[in-house]
Amino acid sequence: MLHNVRDNYIISVKDHVSQFEEKSFRKLASNDFKSWPSPREETWRLSRLGVLSRKEITPIKPNFKKQISSVSKFKGSKIIRFVDGALREDLSSKLPPGSSLNILGEEDSLICFHKFKNSNLKNHPSTNVSFSCTPSIVKLTIEKDVKITDLFEIIYEGGDNNLSVHPALYIELKDNSSITIIERFNHLSSLIMPLQLVELKKNASMNSLKIFNDNQQSYNLSANCTFLSEKSNYNSFSLIKGGLFTRSETHAYLTGENCNLNLNGVYLSSKNQHHDLTTAIYHDVPNCTSKQIVRGVLGGKATGVFQGKVRVALDAQKTDGQQMSRAILLSENAIANAKPELEIYADDVICAHGATVGEIDDEQLFYLKSRGISEKNAKQILITAFLRDIINESVEKSIQNFVFEEAELALSEIISKEI
Amino acid sequence: MSLLEIKNAKLKLDDKDILKGLSLSVSKGEVHAIMGPNGSGKSTLSYMLAGREGYELESGEVFLEGQSLSNMEADERARSGLFLAFQYPVELPGVGGMSFLREAVNSRRKFLGEEELDHLAFVKESRKVASKMFVKDEMLKRAVNVGFSGGEKKRFEILQMAMLKPKVSILDETDSGLDVDALKIVSDGVNAQRNDDNAIVVITHYQRLLDYIVPDFVHILSDGSIIKSGGPELALEVEKNGYAGLINAA
Repeated sequence: MLHNVRDNYIISVKDHVSQFEEKSFRKLASNDFKSWPSPREETWRLSRLGVLSRKEITPIKPNFKKQISSVSKFKGSKIIRFVDGALREDLSSKLPPGSSLNILGEEDSLICFHKFKNSNLKNHPSTNVSFSCTPSIVKLTIEKDVKITDLFEIIYEGGDNNLSVHPALYIELKDNSSITIIERFNHLSSLIMPLQLVELKKNASMNSLKIFNDNQQSYNLSANCTFLSEKSNYNSFSLIKGGLFTRSETHAYLTGENCNLNLNGVYLSSKNQHHDLTTAIYHDVPNCTSKQIVRGVLGGKATGVFQGKVRVALDAQKTDGQQMSRAILLSENAIANAKPELEIYADDVICAHGATVGEIDDEQLFYLKSRGISEKNAKQILITAFLRDIINESVEKSIQNFVFEEAELALSEIISKEI
Repeated sequence: MSLLEIKNAKLKLDDKDILKGLSLSVSKGEVHAIMGPNGSGKSTLSYMLAGREGYELESGEVFLEGQSLSNMEADERARSGLFLAFQYPVELPGVGGMSFLREAVNSRRKFLGEEELDHLAFVKESRKVASKMFVKDEMLKRAVNVGFSGGEKKRFEILQMAMLKPKVSILDETDSGLDVDALKIVSDGVNAQRNDDNAIVVITHYQRLLDYIVPDFVHILSDGSIIKSGGPELALEVEKNGYAGLINAA
C-alpha cells in the first residue's frame, strides 16, 4: 500500500526504470519501492521522511561534462570521483597496482542487489531506489595480499534542487589486503541516496572515514552494508555535519571468527539540521569484538539521533560488544535521542552500553573557571576536548588533524551562536 | 588591610543551613588552618569562596584585598588572585595539561596587565616549576588529571598554584589520599610559595598535614561557624582529644 498515493517520486522512479527488462535488478528494486518508511516503523520513528513524499523529486540524469567544485584535501591521494552519482573516470586517479575500479554488468549487479536484499537493509528506501536509479554499480577491488599505502579519497558531488542522486559503490578487500579510504559527500541541494557494500575477506583490514558535508538544504540517506570474514578488521568513523537531514545507516555482519569492528561517529548539528547515525551489528559467530563510540554536539533547533543495535546470536559466545553514546546540548531547543538496543542470545559474552544526553559537565566547567578561564573559553575547551578525544581514539594518526579541523569548522559555527 | 575577609557568612544548601555566620580575617604572609569534623561545612566554605554556582551566600560578604566577591564569578575571582586546590581534582579527558596551564596562566597575566606568554616561553617556565614539584614532562603532555594517581593529582594542583601565583590559596583537604612521601613533596611545594605578600588557608580534617605546613593560626569549624581560634597548639589539642571535647566546651 502506498504511504501517500500522490507520491510523485515513486512514479518518477518507475518511469526511470521503465526501459529495463522485468528481470533486471533495477526493475526488481523499483517494484519494492512502494512507499517512504512510515513513522510507525521503529527505526524511522525518530527520523521521519514524510516531507519527502510531498516533494517533486526526480532521479538525476548524470551530466558527464559537469565541472567539479571539490578539491582534494590530501596531497598525493588517489582520487575517485562521483559526480551526480556517476563515476567520473576522467576525473579520477590512476589506481596503484593491486587495486582496480570496474563498472558492474547486469549479472554482478544483481548479485550485489541480492546481498542487500538478504540483509536487514532490504527495506531501506535507498536500497530500493538507488538500485533502481544508480547510473551503475562501481566496484573497487583490492587484490589478495595487497597493502595499499596510498590514501584513497572518494569525493561525491553534484546534484541539484529536486533531483535525487544515487552513487553505488561495492568495495571488496580480498584476503590479507588493507586500505584506508576517505569519503567526502559534498552535494548541492538534493536527495542523496548512497549505497555501499563492503566485503572484507579473511584477514583484510579497512579504515574508513566518511565526512557528510552536503549542502544545508539536502537530504542524505546513506545505506551501508558490511560483511566481515574471519580475522578481518573494519575501523570506521563518520563525521556528520552537513545537510538538512543526514542519516548514515550501517549494518555490519560479523560472519567469521576473530574479526574486529569499530563503528564510531560524531554529529555536529546546528540550526534546524537533523542528523542520524543508525547502526546494526550482527555477531553471528564466536570470538569477535565490536565497539561503538558516538558523540554529538547540538545547537539551535537541531536534532541528533543515535540508534545502535547489537545482536549476538546463540552461537556467538565470547563476543565483546561495547557501545557508548554521549550528546551535549548547547541550546534549549536542541534535541538528542539515543536508542541502544541489545539483543543477546548467547550466554558467555561481554556487552556494555551507555547513553547520556546533557549539558556540559558542571564539575569540569567549574574546575576550568576556578583557574581563571572564562566561561566561554572553558566551554570551548571542553567541547573541543570532547571531540578531540574520540577522533584520536577512532582515526588513524596521519589523518587525525584533518578530521579535527573538519569538525572544528562545524563546531565553531555552533559555538558562535550558543556560547 | 586583610587579604581575605569573610564577614558573617551564611549559606544554605537545599534549604539546610550550612554556614551559619562564619567570619575570618586573613592577612598577608599568614597561613591559617581550618579544622573541623565531617559535615562541619569545610568543603562548602571552599566552594563558596571559589564562587561555585549554587554556593552563593545568603547573607554576609567576602572581600579579597578589600574588593567584594559577591558579584564575581569563579573565573573572575581566580583572575583576581584567589586559588582553590581541589580535594578531588577533576579529570578533563582530551584537555592537554600544558595547554590547560597556559590558558589559565595567560588569563591571569592578561588580568594583571602582563604580557601573555608564548608557547616557547611558557614551556620553559612550566618545566622549571614542574621539576621542583617532581612533575614530569610526560605528565604535562597527558590529559589533565586523567589516569593520575592521588599523589600526582595533588602535585598538579600545587603546580598550578605555583604557576598562577595567587594572593590567597585555599587548600581543600590537600592531604587526603596522600602517603607520607607524597605529603612531604606537596607540603614542600606549598611552603616554597609562602611569602610576605600572599596568604594560605589550609582546610583539613587531620592535624597530620600541619606538621608539614605549619600554620600561624588554627580555627575550629563546627556546625557552620568557627567556634575556637588559636595558634598551632590548638591543632595538637584536636589530635589529642578529638573534636568532641572542643565542641562540647564551646
